[in-house]
Amino acid sequence: MKKKLVSILLVAAMVMSLVACGGNSGNGGNGGSSSGKKDNDGPFIINVCIASEPETIDPGLISSVDGSTYTQHQFEGLMKYAPTSDYADESKQMFNSDITFGQAKSVDISDDGRVYTFTLRDDIYWSDGVEVTANDFVYAWRRIVDPATASDYGYILDDIVLNASAIQAGEKSKEELGIEAVDNKTLKITLESPCAYFMSLCGFASLMPLREDVVEGNENWTDPSNIVVNGPYKITEWVHDSYILMEKNEKYYDYDNLGPDQIKWGLSDSETAIVSSYQSGEYDFIESFPSDMIESLKASGDCFVDPYIGTYYLYINCSIVTDWRVRAAMTICIDRENIVENVTQGGQTPATGLVAQGITDSTGKDFSEGISELGAMYSALQKAYPSFDLSTYAGRCALAKELYNAAVADGSWNPDTTVVYNFNTSEAHKAIAEAVGSDWQTVLGLNIALQNQEWNTYTTGLGEHTFGVARLGWIADYNDALTYLELFTTGNPYNYGLYSDSKYDSDVLSAKAKEAGAERDAVLYQAEEELFGVGGFPVCPIYYYTRLYCIADGIENCYQTPLGYYFFIYATQK
Amino acid sequence: MLLYILKRLLASVGTLLVVLAITFFLMNAVPGSPFITEKSTPEQIAAANAKYGLDKPLIVQFKNYLVSYCQGDLGVSLKMQEGTPVTDIMFHQGKFQLSIKLGLIALLVSVIIGIPLGCIAAYNRGSGLDGFLRVVTTVGVAIPGFVLATLLLVTFAVKLQWLPTISGSLDNVKAYIMPIISLSFYNTCYLAKLTRTSMLDAINQDYIRTARAKGVTTKSIVIKHALRNSLIPVITFLGPLIAGIITGSFVVESTFSIPGLGKYFVQSVLNRDYTVIMATTFVLSALVIFMNLVVDIAYKIVDPRITLSSRED
Repeated sequence: MKKKLVSILLVAAMVMSLVACGGNSGNGGNGGSSSGKKDNDGPFIINVCIASEPETIDPGLISSVDGSTYTQHQFEGLMKYAPTSDYADESKQMFNSDITFGQAKSVDISDDGRVYTFTLRDDIYWSDGVEVTANDFVYAWRRIVDPATASDYGYILDDIVLNASAIQAGEKSKEELGIEAVDNKTLKITLESPCAYFMSLCGFASLMPLREDVVEGNENWTDPSNIVVNGPYKITEWVHDSYILMEKNEKYYDYDNLGPDQIKWGLSDSETAIVSSYQSGEYDFIESFPSDMIESLKASGDCFVDPYIGTYYLYINCSIVTDWRVRAAMTICIDRENIVENVTQGGQTPATGLVAQGITDSTGKDFSEGISELGAMYSALQKAYPSFDLSTYAGRCALAKELYNAAVADGSWNPDTTVVYNFNTSEAHKAIAEAVGSDWQTVLGLNIALQNQEWNTYTTGLGEHTFGVARLGWIADYNDALTYLELFTTGNPYNYGLYSDSKYDSDVLSAKAKEAGAERDAVLYQAEEELFGVGGFPVCPIYYYTRLYCIADGIENCYQTPLGYYFFIYATQK
Repeated sequence: MLLYILKRLLASVGTLLVVLAITFFLMNAVPGSPFITEKSTPEQIAAANAKYGLDKPLIVQFKNYLVSYCQGDLGVSLKMQEGTPVTDIMFHQGKFQLSIKLGLIALLVSVIIGIPLGCIAAYNRGSGLDGFLRVVTTVGVAIPGFVLATLLLVTFAVKLQWLPTISGSLDNVKAYIMPIISLSFYNTCYLAKLTRTSMLDAINQDYIRTARAKGVTTKSIVIKHALRNSLIPVITFLGPLIAGIITGSFVVESTFSIPGLGKYFVQSVLNRDYTVIMATTFVLSALVIFMNLVVDIAYKIVDPRITLSSRED
């Protein structure tokens, strides 16, 4: 009897440990270090999760959206993003933003549009109390173009700021960059030629000022104990792979209007964990969750769709699929409506060109709608093949078959060829690849081999051009069509499909040197049309991105930019 | 015994060398680079390779690893926290300690619950209790860790809100509960099954019947005679389990947002962070080798008839 009792007790202990585990109820959901809602008199801590551990938060070395977001909360450039009065979506908790003066208070632009003279604010200080000067900008901008820095965004000033390209190429010294501190509060920047988007570029995360005495000779200068910032928040704690904690910077000129006392950035790569933490109240804002939960989150009123300037596209390797007609056929026979409605389900828009929705021309018109009703992807073909109605999917399929069969008939394409479609490991990319491959197989009879690779192997293959088709998504760096069109110029490091067209190259180069206006717009529209004209189609756009996020009730006054950044600087809590 | 331990320690150096060599040449055979990003140019990658000596011939790089390891230097990270010494990341930031703590508690839970359950099941063979335990343990070894972790997360953190979804640096008792259950459930069930089988073998032996005939109490038979002899296969399982629990905690660390070594190890492979791959492999291999030595010594303690070396024959 006693033996049985002991046995039963042991079994019960095991079952209880599995089921009940510390069965006391209470506020455990918000327990631990991550708790953080405002008590009646307590500090307001906003808990946010936008990504996993960032590779770096050094403005000169960042290349990711999350790294840039942390940077823009800690540093401020000549220009900055500030909230507008219009809501970004139906949540009414998120505002849009616009570029405005940041550390600069005014700018004088020369008549030829090549010399920008910024005057800095008088009340700007680093977090250690030292005044921000023009020299801090000079140092940071020279650092980013210095090949020794190996900045991913070293190219961002190429062909824009005087000598940037030559410095990147190692032909000139960084001291010859067209930036000069006239005095402590006056910064003169000389451009190669007028640049229509230069002012917005001055708010770019990689172009934040840096203190030479803090950065030089200290590889760990971004550690909370070493870092010195000039932005609204300052990192005070960084538990790697766990969280980043930021507090208000008392030296920031708008300190009195800042929102949360602390911003706690959770660092997690598990979508399940992220969404669970949001649902249990441990996160106030998330933008990553399993795609199969999108519908239920939307239905529960937690999930909102934001504009996001990005295009999901496929490179078609021009050295493997050499006939443009085959590339064109592959591009136009994809049922994009099916992909966004049934595969991705995130409110994306089927792409009609390379330049993402949200990029505007000089008149403010959306570039993706500017060229024709059909969009750049079909515009040139419609002119060349007027008997096909490219406004319908059936018409596009009919032309695709015609082009493909013509290429097969004249022997320039072997129909038995198997095209290798590479994608990096992800259920979403796999589903898209299957849908695209199915369309190619069904409409054209094209043989496709899908190849799933982990990220590092995948990107190596891109650089070595060892693919037939490969996916990529490109988020705009700035609001100008060039951020996309430049990618396919001859010799561009991101021209993975090895497309080369001298007319296209010269158009892009000419647009780069023109001032904003109708003439420049026309050149840009023409360039995009050429990309999808006879001899072109190195790229197959699939859809324009949107962004999904969840935000807790009561959190307000956040704002976003369609370039991918969310700001919590002025967030409030009801 | 001391001589045996010394011999094993010397042999361990050779084993570690082989493990490091295999790891080094395998990781370099896989395409990729720690410096590849969507926006990196070939020139930038070449510059970074030169900075960290990755442009040198492989044999020279391997020699450099060995030399610096002999000097106690595990190198600096090439990707995440670039330039930070790996020892700082692993030990000073507490990743190693966190994983060890988690792993050892999970192991302890597995042993404390699994072995007694196996004994109970064996001693009640054929009963309803035995049947119930067999079902539970079979289900336990069949459920993948990530499924159990997700199930616990959704039930106890999201629905009931009894426990935190983020365990973080395991600062409080509640933060331990779900990770420990997720990590230990499979091993508890496996240990219970293993103990039950060994126990059944043992209690059918002649010496147990003799003991029974002599009137020795059931408790004494189980604890003093049957259990001791049935522990040999269990100990064999426990050795590699410790290292396995640490390296295999990737899913649990990821699900419960714990900044441990398991997650770091897997990320380093995906990132091609060569120095981190080598360093974590080195540390974990040393741990496995050490645990195997401990297991061999434990054999001798549990069953003095076992010989550790030919000299003892």
